[in-house]
Amino acid sequence: MPEKALEIQPITITTPTPNSPMATPPPPPPCRTSATPDSPIMTTPRRRALHRLTGFTRSLSCRRKRAPSGRRMCPVDQQDDFQQASTHCLTSYYSVFVVRLAIMIMLAILIGMLTVLTWHFTKVYTTKSLDTLAYGLRYELLQRPILRMWNILNSTSEITTAQVKLSEYVLRKYSSPVTQANPTSQAQLVELYETMKAVTWSLFQSRKALNAITINYRNGFVQAFHRDHRSNNTFYIYSDLSNYSISAGMYSRQGWNDQSIKGNISAIWYREPLDPNTGIKIGKAKPIPADDLINIAGLSQVPDGAATWDVAVSKYTDSPLLSAALPVFGPSNQSIVAVVGVTTALSSVGQLMKELVEVHSGHIYLTSQEGYLLATSTNAPLLANTSMGPELVMAVDSQDHVIRKGARWLQAIYGNKLPPGHVVHIEHAKLGKEDYYIDSFFLNLKRLPIVGVIIIPREYIMGKADQRAFKTLIILISASVCILIIGCLCILILTNGVSKEMKLRAELISHLDARRRAEASNNYKSQFLANMSHELRTPMAAIIGLLDIVITDSSLASEHYASLTQIRKCSLALLRLLNNILDLSKVESGKLVLEEADFNLGQELEGIVDMHSVQCINQDVELVLDLSDDMPETFRGDSARFVEIFSNLISNSIKFTKSGHVIVRGWCENWNAFEDSGKSLLEQKKSWCALRSKFKQQTNYVKKTCKKENKMILWFEIEDTGCGIDPAKWETVFDSFEQADASTTRKHGGTGLGLSIVRTLVNKMGGEVKIVKKDSPGILMRLYLLLNTPSDGSEQSCQVDFSKPTVVVLALGGSVGRGITSQWLRRNKVSTIEASDWKQLTLILPELFNPTNECNGSEEQPSLSEPLEEEQPLSSEEQPSLSQTLKEEILNIKAMKDQVFIIVVDIGLLDFKAGIWLSQLDYLDQFTGKAKFAWTLSHNSSSMVKAELRKRGHVIVVNKPLYKTKMIQILEAALQGRTLEIEICSSDGGASTNKALVDCDIADALVPLSLGDKIERLINSRPTRYQDFINHHIEFTDQNPEPSNSSTDSENQSQSSPKLPDNGLESGRSKSKGKEIASTSDESQNGSPTSKRQKMVSSPPKEKGSSSSSGCDEEKLRGLHILVVEDTLLLQMVAVKILLKAGATVNAVSDGLQAVEAMTSMIDSLVRRNEAVKKGLEPEPLKSPPYDLILMDCQMPVMDGYEATKEIRRMEEGTRMHIQIIAQTAHAMSTDREKCLAVGMDGYLTKPLQDKITVETIMKHLGRSID
Amino acid sequence: MDVGQMQRRLLDYTKSLFMEGVLDGQFLQLQQLQDESNPDFVVEVVSLFFEDSERLLNDLTRALDQPNVDFKTVDSHVHQWKGSSSSIGASRVKNGCIAFRNFCEEQNIEACLRCLQQVKQEYYLVKNKLETLFRMEQQIVAAGGSIPILELSF
Repeated sequence: MPEKALEIQPITITTPTPNSPMATPPPPPPCRTSATPDSPIMTTPRRRALHRLTGFTRSLSCRRKRAPSGRRMCPVDQQDDFQQASTHCLTSYYSVFVVRLAIMIMLAILIGMLTVLTWHFTKVYTTKSLDTLAYGLRYELLQRPILRMWNILNSTSEITTAQVKLSEYVLRKYSSPVTQANPTSQAQLVELYETMKAVTWSLFQSRKALNAITINYRNGFVQAFHRDHRSNNTFYIYSDLSNYSISAGMYSRQGWNDQSIKGNISAIWYREPLDPNTGIKIGKAKPIPADDLINIAGLSQVPDGAATWDVAVSKYTDSPLLSAALPVFGPSNQSIVAVVGVTTALSSVGQLMKELVEVHSGHIYLTSQEGYLLATSTNAPLLANTSMGPELVMAVDSQDHVIRKGARWLQAIYGNKLPPGHVVHIEHAKLGKEDYYIDSFFLNLKRLPIVGVIIIPREYIMGKADQRAFKTLIILISASVCILIIGCLCILILTNGVSKEMKLRAELISHLDARRRAEASNNYKSQFLANMSHELRTPMAAIIGLLDIVITDSSLASEHYASLTQIRKCSLALLRLLNNILDLSKVESGKLVLEEADFNLGQELEGIVDMHSVQCINQDVELVLDLSDDMPETFRGDSARFVEIFSNLISNSIKFTKSGHVIVRGWCENWNAFEDSGKSLLEQKKSWCALRSKFKQQTNYVKKTCKKENKMILWFEIEDTGCGIDPAKWETVFDSFEQADASTTRKHGGTGLGLSIVRTLVNKMGGEVKIVKKDSPGILMRLYLLLNTPSDGSEQSCQVDFSKPTVVVLALGGSVGRGITSQWLRRNKVSTIEASDWKQLTLILPELFNPTNECNGSEEQPSLSEPLEEEQPLSSEEQPSLSQTLKEEILNIKAMKDQVFIIVVDIGLLDFKAGIWLSQLDYLDQFTGKAKFAWTLSHNSSSMVKAELRKRGHVIVVNKPLYKTKMIQILEAALQGRTLEIEICSSDGGASTNKALVDCDIADALVPLSLGDKIERLINSRPTRYQDFINHHIEFTDQNPEPSNSSTDSENQSQSSPKLPDNGLESGRSKSKGKEIASTSDESQNGSPTSKRQKMVSSPPKEKGSSSSSGCDEEKLRGLHILVVEDTLLLQMVAVKILLKAGATVNAVSDGLQAVEAMTSMIDSLVRRNEAVKKGLEPEPLKSPPYDLILMDCQMPVMDGYEATKEIRRMEEGTRMHIQIIAQTAHAMSTDREKCLAVGMDGYLTKPLQDKITVETIMKHLGRSID
Repeated sequence: MDVGQMQRRLLDYTKSLFMEGVLDGQFLQLQQLQDESNPDFVVEVVSLFFEDSERLLNDLTRALDQPNVDFKTVDSHVHQWKGSSSSIGASRVKNGCIAFRNFCEEQNIEACLRCLQQVKQEYYLVKNKLETLFRMEQQIVAAGGSIPILELSF
């Protein structure tokens, strides 16, 4: 019952407070909620909560619905995560709801119990104790009138008995003589009666309460004393004596009956008033009708001789009378001689009751057993006048309405069957409008049973208690209701925070989800771009390839040719742009994985500088590379990405530099030196310079101490003298598609992706890149990279043994490069003289070589000075103006003995315009014996000049720009008198650069046919290639100083000169060069350009096969035994063909299982053979030569390439064998590459196989493994 | 028709094939692989490609005709076809295959069927062209000339 009440309670309480979340109905099932309309009427908070909830669930259901259709839109685990989170949120929402409900219910229970208990204790206990008290009171009240009654009865009986005894005595005294002295005299009788009168009087006098005493003699004589209480008169009543003959029938027992008395009605009774105190007669006796005044007890009342009690009614009193009658026996005790009657008024009991009731209120009455009222506490008459005379009134007919009602009520409840003992206690008797207590008490007298009833209004006893109880109840209930409401409000307020938190959390979750989705879509975008690469590059490659085909067509008009070239250029630019975007997206999509391979950092940088120097020269910008000497040669890292960083930075710098220089500086620190400071390195701006010098000092120390820790910090600076960047944009330029100035796009082009890629790559290599403040115009880009040096840590930089004192004359155009080179030379104890132009050179050279013989110099001078003066008229005036310091230096140098002079001349110093250069060369020729000449060529130096130089025996030729390595090569060549070294060095360098580029292309070559790539690569690597080309020619001249070669050269020259009369025509040159490069790089030394030109048009395949690539390829793979694993017959055939062509022995199988089997047998036989060799036995001849390499397809039936590789690697465990496995897949993403490498493959080729790349890759892997 | 003219025609024809995108550089690679030790290499490889393709076409048609298309097998067939077509340089077939595989991944059967028709057409086109090419080569050889090789400038 209380539970139910409490269940209802929160509802009744919360309904009027709508913002209570308890009132929020439980969320309906999601499927239904999704259909719930968003009605704008929902404005109440409750509705809002519902709305929010439904929205929440709807979003859930929507997501669930969408999930299968979105093709892997978001990873399953993410979604699961979210759903879990959301369900978690929901459940916690519910739990808060339930907790609230529980707290409220508990509060309600508590308060309800308190209320009930309080009320109970205050009410019930009070009532009970009061009831007990009241019961006592009532009992007491009732007891007292009954006791009085009892007393009255007792005293009446006592008087009666006393009268009887006295009468007996008197009568006996007088009767004996009567009996003896027969006949009794009248006088004796009178005497007897007088005596009786005196005795009776005395008794009557002693009891004031007595109403009357009567003596009825046998003979009918009546003596009575009567006291009228109302008039306070006392009367003596007696019958007329004369009427009674004493003798006649006096003793006849038979005659004494009622009839005798009745018969005596006619008898005259006399009444004489008496003095109430003395009994003396005060008035005359008056005759009164018999039996008129009082009841005279007769024989009839004592028929059996026992005492009787009776309630009588008299005419003259208004209250009932209690009368007792006793017989007086004669001496023989056998006959009744008289009857004594005593009458007492009951009004005294009524008086007592009245007194009691006055004090205590209420009503008391006494009734006989039959219900006649004997006494009441009211003044209501007890007698009713009827025709028969006054009679007793029944209680139910009493005139007092309370008594009447009470009597009727009792009668109605109990009827005539009163409970035994007639004791009734009733606490709630509704009489009329009021509550009464009714108690009855039964006094069981033998002849006169009496019932006492007390009726007390309840209000009198319990009135206050009942009122208080009612008030208390009302107060308690209202208080508890108030407390409950307040408590619930408090709970709501307190838990509101929690629910708010829940709401926030739900929102947070939805935001998180939104963010995750946004990120995912962003990621998909990047992934999409990365995946698009293949599709994007293919058409580009086709376009470029087709353009190449068209360009080769000889029948093109020149204007067509020009526009085609233009188209081709644009296509290349577009491809580069595409590559940039794709690179970036690849990095962003997280697919870029840095390689870990050793690479020669110096060479890479030189390659880049070579590459970009071409562009620089066109723009009149000097590109200088300045690497510190302590830089280790090889590093471990991703060379392709390294190259990408620098080519981006350098091309960026060049792009914005109109004139001036671009310097690339590099030095390195050991990581340990920085570990203490630990902070972001580029942040230490202020201490930069200090640090730098400090580190330089420390380097040696660090090198000694930290041999084991090979991590190096490589610092680079790229400084230019360009337009610079607004310092506010120094950070933003590294963002994607961001350029310092919006107008730059128009002016300089570009997408703004370069620096973004750079930063991503640099960060990936563990470094930072930043723009640093610089005084002069332009920007200074500073970056550092963390790279590992290989553990062997061989740091030998090819130092030249300068045993002989060496003097270098640097006649170079670019002042910065010259300065750096000369500084470096001086640091290495090489005397250096700088000359910035031809004029200065002509001043210095005579100084140096004609110390004693002034005239000798002057003799020669005119031959040169003539054209010079024509050219530069002013120079003659300045001729003697060699600076003092320079002169001193020259003098110092002269003081040395056995010097070796090396003169490095920039070909740009020669004046080509007027054709003076030949005479300038002539001028230089006079010093040939005394000094060695080294020439720095620019890429556009015409072959005519080169041929001329060769003809004159200037064999040391390098390409611009001149940097450390090249300088060392020059020095070595000059000092050791060999030229071959340079070629090997430089061609190696070139080759490695090429290889790096090729690798780079393989890495992201998603185009199987990289026709365009190849061409692009060739064009990009033009300087190096070109250098190779030149070097080859140097070699020719050195090795075969025969006229046939010069004819080749002249052919070459003649071929290029008529077609390209103007050096400046870039397109034409590049085209011809492309062809040349193709020929030179494709084959070795002995191909001639002319023959190839013919071949290009139509050359028999046989001739081509013998003369072209096969020549060197056959060398490459000869003797190798290769297993080709490929399921598609066609691809297998192609692969086998490629490898056969390269000279390898090839076996082919069609799935992984066969490959594994082949390997098993091979390994078994090898192991057996090894054991045999160990035992000193003759080794069994192998069935087939062991495989050197496996070319493994990845997707194959039966067993795929990955599985097969794992199997083979497992077999190899413990045999110390490691066969090279190169994967071939159609997937070109770097993840596939990783997968390949992860299962234990060594290399990676993309399908379709291309012979050159295939052979190169195989060479790379086997070359390393064989070595 | 003299040999020179036939040779020029052959060259023009080859060039047109490249222009139309029917063939790409891989075919040239193939031609370069051919030498005196194996004078019919290209023809062999190409006819192998034809055989493969016919088989794959049949397989694909059958696979796509089934009520419940097993896209995995379809995909692997197409992958195989893509590999062989890219190896001989039939670039249009290859491109068709790439698109085909995308639809396979999406399990879009209608697009797959459309793609199959397209690739089939491309295949017949390249087959036709290559056969013509070989016929021309044979004619040249029969006429006693040598087969000119189109060389891209590298």
